[in-house]
Amino acid sequence: MIALDDVSKRYPNGTFALRDVDLRVDAGDFIFLVGSSGAGKSTLIRLLIREEVATTGRVVVDGEDVGRMRRSRVHLLRRKVGVVFQDFKLLPRKTVAENIAFALTVTGHEGRVVREETERALSLVGLTARRDHFPSQLSGGEQQRTAIARALVNRPRILIADEPTGNLDPVTSWEIIKLLTRVCELGTTLVMATHNAEIVNALRRRVVHLDHGMVVRDVREGLYAA
Amino acid sequence: MRRIGYVLSAAGQGFWRNPVMSLASTFTVTLMLLLFSFFLTTDRGLQAAVGVLESKVEIATFLDDNAKVSEILALKARIEADPAVSRVEYVTKDQALQRLRDIADRRKDFVIADVDANLLPASLEVKLSDAHQAQRIGDDLRAEIGAGVVADVIDNPQVVDQLLTITRVLSVGGIVILGMMLFVALFVIVNTIRIAVHGRRDEIEIMQLVGASDWFVRWPFILEGMLVGALGAVAALAVVFAASGPVTGAMMDFLVTLPISLGPEFAFQLAASVLGVALLVGAGGATLSVRAHLAK
Repeated sequence: MIALDDVSKRYPNGTFALRDVDLRVDAGDFIFLVGSSGAGKSTLIRLLIREEVATTGRVVVDGEDVGRMRRSRVHLLRRKVGVVFQDFKLLPRKTVAENIAFALTVTGHEGRVVREETERALSLVGLTARRDHFPSQLSGGEQQRTAIARALVNRPRILIADEPTGNLDPVTSWEIIKLLTRVCELGTTLVMATHNAEIVNALRRRVVHLDHGMVVRDVREGLYAA
Repeated sequence: MRRIGYVLSAAGQGFWRNPVMSLASTFTVTLMLLLFSFFLTTDRGLQAAVGVLESKVEIATFLDDNAKVSEILALKARIEADPAVSRVEYVTKDQALQRLRDIADRRKDFVIADVDANLLPASLEVKLSDAHQAQRIGDDLRAEIGAGVVADVIDNPQVVDQLLTITRVLSVGGIVILGMMLFVALFVIVNTIRIAVHGRRDEIEIMQLVGASDWFVRWPFILEGMLVGALGAVAALAVVFAASGPVTGAMMDFLVTLPISLGPEFAFQLAASVLGVALLVGAGGATLSVRAHLAK
């Protein structure tokens, strides 16, 4: 589903954010990206949704060479890759349902599809009762669930979560992780960058450890630290 | 349908989210278009005036009473050979007198005493097809005064010359000023849309994140720019058509001798050009602005 071959990313100021990275993620996998801040996790994620282009090497997502993709096709890639962030990125003037529906509307879906898919996503994340609330009226966990629903509503093949529990308390973090685990079980490939050692150690999933832009550890059923 | 609905409502919301800026740029566009309408109308009016005057340009060549008919006909043929001349009419002494009598008949305050001796000279009336050549032909004929055939030459090209100069100055000056106004209007629209884009940068970020196409992101802003242009056009045309009656009346009083009137056909052309320019400027400015943002 995701393949990085010998990928390096060098920023114009000369620093290498990634160096000779090889990584293969199969469909339906759940992987943790760990490493200190600045290790290259965010850069790797940006390469996957083509917010950045690799300096050398090849990034393939769902069979497509992302680096060589024409600009006019990037939006099609983004529909296949949902993303959630630490800061949720919800639109404050839209309700929960409107925030989710927005992702469908702006990708050109019809009214009936928008309504049906929004309801499905709301019930998947358990926010049907909160549908008409504004983000400011929600807890952090509910806001993140809204963001996850929005990322999933276009039925992406891959879900990328960049520090999804970074702003949440431990109990709420667990709720989000349970939700993401369920999403993965339903067939979505999951890539999650995190600093939360407790969660990584409890779940025992594949761990890819980045340090100074290089993959220093890649183990199945791994722990946060070696 | 939902897409179109979204794009339209986003464009409308964008316009009213920052009403001061939107109305300011609409006002600038209106001024630019008023100037545009003014030059278009003036230019069209002057062209018509020049056309009318040019058709009236003629050179009267008065002939010596002692000139022989053969010499007169030779001169006539020579003048007719000039490509700038459309027609030469030979007016004999008798015809000249008859014309004077006709004028006197129409005007009661004008009486001609019966005279036996006809003092009016015969003449060649030269009609021109190219008014610009009046000066040259007049000078050529004037050079023959005193040689036995030509007695005097009277031409009236000065008016046309002046009008042509005015037309030229007006069109060059108009294009320059119009160009500057166009630049200002474009600049104002670029800035208006930039503010609109900035106000919705979070929304744009999310749209790009969830996979909206670039066109989907752009269209609301382009439509917003076109909305500014269209409103400016409507305002400018309202002013133009409200003012057209009184202004035309004043012009008619001023230029009684020129049968110029710009009919409904011109009004339609004017409205279409103004609206076309407005939409182009609006869409162009918005496209520049959004492209700059999306390229980041």
